[in-house]
Amino acid sequence: MAEETMTLRVTRYRPERGPDSYLDEFDVPYREDMVVLDALNHIKDDIDGSLTYRWSCRMGVCGSCGMMVNGMPRLTCSTYLREFHPEPVVIEPLESFPVIRDLVVDMTDFLEKLREVKPWVIREREDAVEEGEYLQTPEEVDRYKQFSMCINCMLCYSACPVYAQDPEFLGPAAIALASRYNLDSRDQGRSERDEVLGVDTGIWDCTFVGECSVVCPKDVDPAAAIQRTKVSTTTRGMLAAVWPHRGRR
Amino acid sequence: MATPGPAVTRPSEHTPISAAGRRRYPFLVKRPSRTWWLRTRAYRRFAAREATSLFAAAFSLILLTFLFALSRGPQAYDGFLRWLQRPGTVILLAVILVAILYHVATWFRLTSQILVIRIGRLVVPRKIVVGGLVAVWLLLSGLVLYLYALFL
Ligand code: SF4
Ligand code: FES
Repeated sequence: MAEETMTLRVTRYRPERGPDSYLDEFDVPYREDMVVLDALNHIKDDIDGSLTYRWSCRMGVCGSCGMMVNGMPRLTCSTYLREFHPEPVVIEPLESFPVIRDLVVDMTDFLEKLREVKPWVIREREDAVEEGEYLQTPEEVDRYKQFSMCINCMLCYSACPVYAQDPEFLGPAAIALASRYNLDSRDQGRSERDEVLGVDTGIWDCTFVGECSVVCPKDVDPAAAIQRTKVSTTTRGMLAAVWPHRGRR
Repeated sequence: MATPGPAVTRPSEHTPISAAGRRRYPFLVKRPSRTWWLRTRAYRRFAAREATSLFAAAFSLILLTFLFALSRGPQAYDGFLRWLQRPGTVILLAVILVAILYHVATWFRLTSQILVIRIGRLVVPRKIVVGGLVAVWLLLSGLVLYLYALFL
């Protein structure tokens, strides 16, 4: 029996060849258990070694293999070809990020935004080591656990039309990460994070399209993190107005 | 643009996204399309949700007109009532009703995404939250109808 094949249309961008991107078409052998990343690896190993893309773990953990697959941001290591077979698949670099080469995007903006939200436990005063650990109950862990599952794959940024229009927007994953610490019972850094969260380019830029939560491979639900932050920021603001001591926390 | 090093930058019609001044390699930026809101299901839902809010605005305008007519005396008020009974108006109100119902439904769904109710370590499922919202809404509507019947 003749081997089944499948067509991949891959966006190429090679600055030394010209200022614009173009499409390359590759036919790869098809098996039912192949993921998009397998097909890309086949191209790189056997057809065109110059194809450039990021990947590492092949199991949906490292978050480096995100690309647009037929127009949707997906982890290519967790997206099976059988979802599209026998139609061709279109692979493009993650949207809204500057492309450096082929399918590799520049993550600088994203990484800077992650750092801006101060993703670590902030204490007003550090306890001495002898005083022991900061303890936490399982219920207290529940409050932020979901937001700590992010693998920084940036799919949510690619799905976000607000980020596409306004690159200053802090964005879904960074706000989910801020929530992860704001909701942590050991943390006291909320007001410091407010400086980047409670502003126009923070939570208030979000119009709740909700697509970030749809594409997130880890069910982080960044859209919920943003809206809940809107609610808690507003309530705290109002509390502070009527009851200055309470609202400060 | 002051770019250090042996920079190759894109032609000026492409706006670099950020940190462009510091980037020392060529890069490509795609412009967002104007029709992005048609592209995926979630985008279309979002567009529909935002569009139907205009009908809510239209209805509040009608309410305001009603108050205005009321304040201007019986003649204006009668005129307003006559306008209300015209077939065109009835159709308009029906359309507005459908749009607002859709709008409300989307917000019930979204509220259930935002609202977390915890009972111990259990989180109340979203379906139950939506159910609760619908129940409260039906209750309030029933109350309004009851008051209407009471004062008629
Ligand atoms: S929130 Fe989800 S989609 Fe966004 S970076 Fe984290 S894991 Fe990826
Ligand atoms: S290769 Fe690590 S998430 Fe896909």
